[in-house]
Order: sequence, then C-alpha cells, then structure tokens
Amino acid sequence: MGAAIETHQLTKSYKSKSGGVVNVVDALDLYVEEGEIFGFLGPNGAGKTTTIKMLLNIIYATSGEAKIYGQDVDDMSVHRYISYLPEKPYYYEHMTGMELLRFYGSLFGMSKGDPKYLQLLNRVGLGRDLNKTLNQYSKGMQQRVGLAQCLLNDPKLLFLDEPTGGLDPVAHSEIRDLILGFRDERKTVFISSHELSEVERICDRVAIINRGKIEKQGRLEDLLQGGRIELIANGVSESFSHGLNLPDTTVSYANQRLILDMPDDQDVNALIDSVRTQGGTIVSVIPRRKRLEDLFVETVRNVRSTESAAEAGQL
Amino acid sequence: MKPIIAIASATVGEAIRRKVLLVILFVGVLFVGFAPGLSVLSARQERSVLIGMTLGIIQLTSAVIAIVLTVYLLPNEIERRTIYTILCKPVERWQFLLGKYFGAVSALGVMMALMTGVLIIVFAIQQGEYSVDGLAILARAPAMYFIQMSLLAAVAICFSTFVTPLVNFFLSGGLYLVGSLFATFFETMQSNPSTPAFAKGFATLINTILPNFSLFNVQNPIINPGQQIQSEGAYYLTATGYGVVYIAAMLILGMLVFQKREV
Repeated sequence: MGAAIETHQLTKSYKSKSGGVVNVVDALDLYVEEGEIFGFLGPNGAGKTTTIKMLLNIIYATSGEAKIYGQDVDDMSVHRYISYLPEKPYYYEHMTGMELLRFYGSLFGMSKGDPKYLQLLNRVGLGRDLNKTLNQYSKGMQQRVGLAQCLLNDPKLLFLDEPTGGLDPVAHSEIRDLILGFRDERKTVFISSHELSEVERICDRVAIINRGKIEKQGRLEDLLQGGRIELIANGVSESFSHGLNLPDTTVSYANQRLILDMPDDQDVNALIDSVRTQGGTIVSVIPRRKRLEDLFVETVRNVRSTESAAEAGQL
Repeated sequence: MKPIIAIASATVGEAIRRKVLLVILFVGVLFVGFAPGLSVLSARQERSVLIGMTLGIIQLTSAVIAIVLTVYLLPNEIERRTIYTILCKPVERWQFLLGKYFGAVSALGVMMALMTGVLIIVFAIQQGEYSVDGLAILARAPAMYFIQMSLLAAVAICFSTFVTPLVNFFLSGGLYLVGSLFATFFETMQSNPSTPAFAKGFATLINTILPNFSLFNVQNPIINPGQQIQSEGAYYLTATGYGVVYIAAMLILGMLVFQKREV
C-alpha cells in the first residue's frame, strides 16, 4: 500500500496583529495510507481546515511539502481524482439536484446526458427528488447531494469536512453508511470531524492536531489501548479492600460491597480468585474500552497544561 | 472552455434571482415605462427630453446593477464555500474568474436588453415611432452602454480579487464617475497649449490609466439629431476596441491577483 497523502514539515504561517508570526499549521508530518478511512481531529482553530485547504491547493503552504498519491498538490492533475465536501457548503439553490450534478459534471468535461448523474442520485437516496430545487432539500438531503457531487469523478481520495455535522440521527446513519461503502470501494477517505463517536466507528486511523501540531497519530486500536475494568464484588471484608495494593486503581467499599476501577492490564483472574477465597461473590466484571473522546480530551488537556506550566515558568 | 461556460451559466442563474438586482431592475423598467408621463413638463422638446431621460435611466440603472452584481461575485462564493467545491475540481482559477465575469455580463446583458425593449415599446406607442431604422438608432446608445457596463464589471471584478465589497463598491463607482465625467476635462487639459507641462503630464497619465467611460456616452446625437459624430462607424469601432482591450487588461490583472490569493 502506498501513501494517499503525505506531508513533510508542512507549515502555514500568518502575520499576527502584533507583528509576530503565528503558525496555524506547524511542521505537520502526516501519512494517510491508500484505502483507509482517516480521522483528522482537533479542537476548533486547531488547523484542520487550513490543512485540508493546503492539501487542496486552495491556500498555499508557507513551507514544507504535501503530496497526494506522490504528486505535488499544486499539480492540477491531482484534482482529477480527489473530491471535497466542505463543512456546511452552499450549493446554487435555484438548481435541481440533477442540474447541480450536471454543473459539477461539466467541470470534469462530462456530457449533460451522462447516466452517471442518475446513478449517483439513486445511490445517495435522492432518486425521487432529483427534480426538486435545492432550496427544497433538507440539511440531510443537501449533504447527500454534496456527497453525490463528490463521487462524480469516481475519486480515489475524498476529503470530508464535518460530513455529519448538524444532521438528525437518521441522516447521520445514512451518511455513515455511505462513507463505510467507500471503504469497500478501496477509496481513501480523509474525515475532519468533531463527532468523535462517529469517527471511532468508521475510521481506521486518526491524527489529533492541536494548535497546528500533530499530538497523536496512529491506528485507533493502538491509540485506544489502556482501557479500564470495573469489578464489583459482594461479601468481602473491609480489611480485604484495605489490603489490596493495586497500582492506578480506585477502590470503593461500602456495605460489604467492593468496587474496583483498574487498568485492563491487571490480573483480573487472580483478583477474582482471591475474592472467592475470602468468601465473596463476584457481581460483575465490566471491561471499559478507552474511548476516542477520552483520548482526545486527555491529549488536548495535556497540551494545554504543559503550555500553562511553561508560561508560568516564564513569568 | 466547458468549465467557463458552466460557471457562467450558473452565475446567470444566480444573478437573475438576486432580489436586490431585481428590485433595481424593476425600478429602472418602471421609470423607463412611465417616463413619457413625466415629459409633459417640457412639451416643446418632448421627444428629446424623453430620449435623454430614458437613456439616462437605463445607463444609471445598468451601472448600479453592474456594480452591485460584480462586487459580491467572488466574496459570496468564498463566504458560502461554493468556491471550494469548484476549485477542488480540475478548474483553474482563471477559468473560474472568467466564468464569473462572463456570467455577470450575460445577466447584465439580459437586464439591459429588457430595459431597452421597454424603451422601444414606449417609443413605438407614445411617439408613433415604428420605423426599424428609427428604433435601431434608439437601441444604439444602450448597445454602447453595454460595452461601458462590461468594462465597469471588469473593473469591479478585478478589484474584488483584493478589496472588500464595500470598498469595491465605492472604488468602482468612483472610477466610473471620474471616467465618465472628467475624461473630457483631462483631454482638454492635454490638448490646451497653455496648460503647464506637469499638469499636461498628469492629465495624460490619468487619461491613460483610468478607463475612459465617456467614450461610450453616445446619446447626444440620438437626443439631438442636429449633432453628429464624425466618421461614426470608425468611432464606434474604436470605442468598442478600446473597451475590449481595457476589459482584457482588467481581467488579466484580476486573474494574476486571484491566482496568488488565498481563499
């Protein structure tokens, strides 16, 4: 597998009002493998959209390089096999769904009568609404027609900026299914989103960017290692709970009920055995997988606290 | 070429649905339509007054439409993010700008044709002017105004690549006024032997750089049949050539700026 997107020390700087230089994207090294669904996460103002715009050559990098399928992003031929769905886009509202696709199709040199328009509208579930003007479309329908225009050139790589933002649960699930369908077609999908549960469900790998820098990047299963286990036992003595010496574990005891919240690398079997030896009974053992939201919040908070500490040190 | 045509036709579709433009057009058409009712004030020269007034209304309405239409063309596309879905396709920035320009000019042409149509109908009914030649002479001024407005649109779209819509509105409008009203003044300064050399140089510089919108104001011979343009055909041809060259220069400048601009 080759790289669909590869950036090396990609930087975008702007002059600040005070006369200094602000790096909105700071020496970004990004690697997105061909055929994967990649989540690009970060708080507001982290540099996600700026990065996407640089990859689309809509804005220009101050330094560093960015390649898409091995070609420089300023090579216009790249645009033949990529697509972009911006966050809350506006489409020409006087057009019908079919006319909109014809408009975007003509940008690729497609003819008016190309059967692909109808196929795509059917694929995104707008086959019955193709003659409605876009101002009659709901938010979900607009997003679906947006995805349809993204698929006109059968792209190898799709950039989706908040594809499910502001949609109701049904539209959410429909868009998710469409994106998952792209995986089966071996398309590479680059998603920027705040909907972390959604990203966790569909992405293979993610990167977390904060203040223009990549803080974490990798496979979800690797990044989300280090979940926790909750064990609840009845009928054990308080002295038993005091005698437990488990690292990184929260122990609660009340009315002969012991509740342990511990890392998932603990020897749970040995613990269960010792509870039973003490005459206790196991009520439940619940593994709690680390969620992407936990990782995201933890990462962003760590960066902020490090920065605060550094600022305090300077004062 | 296909992307330019597609962008142009989408721009026409948007423009002819913009309420603010339709209101301006409606007011223009209304005035052109009801102008004969106002001309009773100058009964002696009713025809001249009527022609002067209606052509003036068409010119003013067209100028306002041209500016309002073009100053928002690019900023709206950027603000609404439509431009991203277009520029991420195999569309060069110059193609996008040209498409927007041709779309704006086409929409402007449709609106001006409507006003001219009303003008012709009004004259046919009010003045009993049924001869094709007579009506064709009437339509000559709006035809030259169309080139004038296309030039104004090119100036405004060029400015829109680097200034905000509000600044653009006043800048383009100001240039239009200066280029329409003061071009003759600067020409006189240039040709007058008593003008000091530095003033002559200044007048030449201004006259060369600023678009000469007054070249397209050909209403006087139409209003007063006694007046005539010498070598009429050559004049129209030169004015049209000047307009086309200036439009091309403005568009090339706009494309160069837009190519570097971050959207």
